[in-house]
Amino acid sequence: MRPLYLLREAMTNLRVNRGNVLIGIVTTAFTLVCFGLFLLLYLNLKNLTGTLQGDVEVVVYLEPGASEQVVSLVQNRLQTEPAAVALTFVSKEQALREFAEQFPEESLLLEGMDGNPLPASVVVSLSPRFLDTESLSAFAERVKQLPGVTHVAYSQDWIDTLTLVVSYFELGAVVIGTILAVATVTIIANTIRLSLHTRKEEIEILRLIGATGAFIAIPYVIEGTILGTVGGGLSLALLKGIVEFFRLELNASGWFVGVEHILPVFPRQVSFLLVATGMLLGCGSSVLSVFGLMKVRN
Amino acid sequence: MIQLFHVSKFYDRCAALNDVSFRIDKGECVILTGPSGAGKTTLLKVIFGAEVPDAGQILVQNRNVARLRGGAIPYLRRTMGIVLQNFQLLPKKTVYENVVLPLVIQGVKRREARKQVLDVLKAVGMDHKQTIRTGVLSAGEQQRICIARAIVNSPILLLADEPTGNLDPELTVEIVELFKRIHAQGTTILLATHNQRVVEQMNGRVVHLQAGHVVSDEGVAS
Repeated sequence: MRPLYLLREAMTNLRVNRGNVLIGIVTTAFTLVCFGLFLLLYLNLKNLTGTLQGDVEVVVYLEPGASEQVVSLVQNRLQTEPAAVALTFVSKEQALREFAEQFPEESLLLEGMDGNPLPASVVVSLSPRFLDTESLSAFAERVKQLPGVTHVAYSQDWIDTLTLVVSYFELGAVVIGTILAVATVTIIANTIRLSLHTRKEEIEILRLIGATGAFIAIPYVIEGTILGTVGGGLSLALLKGIVEFFRLELNASGWFVGVEHILPVFPRQVSFLLVATGMLLGCGSSVLSVFGLMKVRN
Repeated sequence: MIQLFHVSKFYDRCAALNDVSFRIDKGECVILTGPSGAGKTTLLKVIFGAEVPDAGQILVQNRNVARLRGGAIPYLRRTMGIVLQNFQLLPKKTVYENVVLPLVIQGVKRREARKQVLDVLKAVGMDHKQTIRTGVLSAGEQQRICIARAIVNSPILLLADEPTGNLDPELTVEIVELFKRIHAQGTTILLATHNQRVVEQMNGRVVHLQAGHVVSDEGVAS
């Protein structure tokens, strides 16, 4: 067999059926864009969950008039907790300053009040080993019992919810990915079948002069693989464009100043995955279409 | 070379071949004749493996074609040249590209293939048209290209089904002469035709088919 001859035949197929090939490429790209968007959404959510999980802090609020003695007692007790990695004391004055910095528009609300209504607190950074829901709530319960402590707050609830959403996304990715893969296979397989149909006479001639099923089929498999790969490449370009657009928009909004790391990311593996998926789907669906050629006797 | 033992083939209970038995030796030229629907094409088809007989055995070069698996059929066909009435050429490819195809399929090296194609095109008088697309050639020229393609890999058996069916009398004489020259070089020929003039000109053994039966096997015609 001559590989160059087979490649040339595949290129001829692509040229002859360029209309159908173009439709195949665009639809493959479109389905892969849908899949890619879903995948990116999932990966970004997972990334965000991981980032937030690492940042979980417990805030121990102290009584309004807590004496220095009570504060140091609470701090000493917290230091003996294996879950606590670092403690930061936030005085009433500091709390007020931070509130004013973070919510400049709402700081007017405090002006009409007598004195400083914000309590002093101790912010506890936790060891990653104690970030699960059970350890956190047990820790919070223990700290709540300490004298001078009024309230213990932590953000685990909504992180748990986010984790649950991510797990639903995982399931959704499998279902949607399968549906889109089947759609892509059908589209490419039909393009190849059309190509086979238009060259029916040529196939008959090749059979007559002793061509094997593989010899006849290989150009069509190459055609499908090229179609899928180009479709995958096109979807990659489109997705990069979409993600870049969102990054710029979100950056311009100013909402993420200081926390740019949670802006959408486009992992290199996704680029590879998209092109590889396009290629595999193209190859697989063309193999499916030409499978009959291997079996027919006449 | 070819042996048929009680070969039968039915289409919707209608016998296209009915208990056909005969033998063709190496180097023979056999003319299969009979009216339309006598079973000539079916007989050729079972020999080159396009149809499976319902009964009987067919030995081609000691291979039982009736029992060959689908994957072995291409290799059987590479040992024979096949010429059909409707030319079966690729109209968008050149004369050279059409004729070289069997050699490409068999993986013959480019330089060697080129030499073989040029030799065979010279033999059929078409070497000056090798770069022309076959779609623009006349019927006689197309059939000569078909014959060139059939013999380019020097097969020991040449099967032809009504090779002059689409040609006028003058071109028919030309093509028959070509077949005679190929036969003179030692190639076994089995040619199916209903044209009596071709039967007379070929001067070979005549097997007469009628309604799927061999009704006469005349040996060398006078």
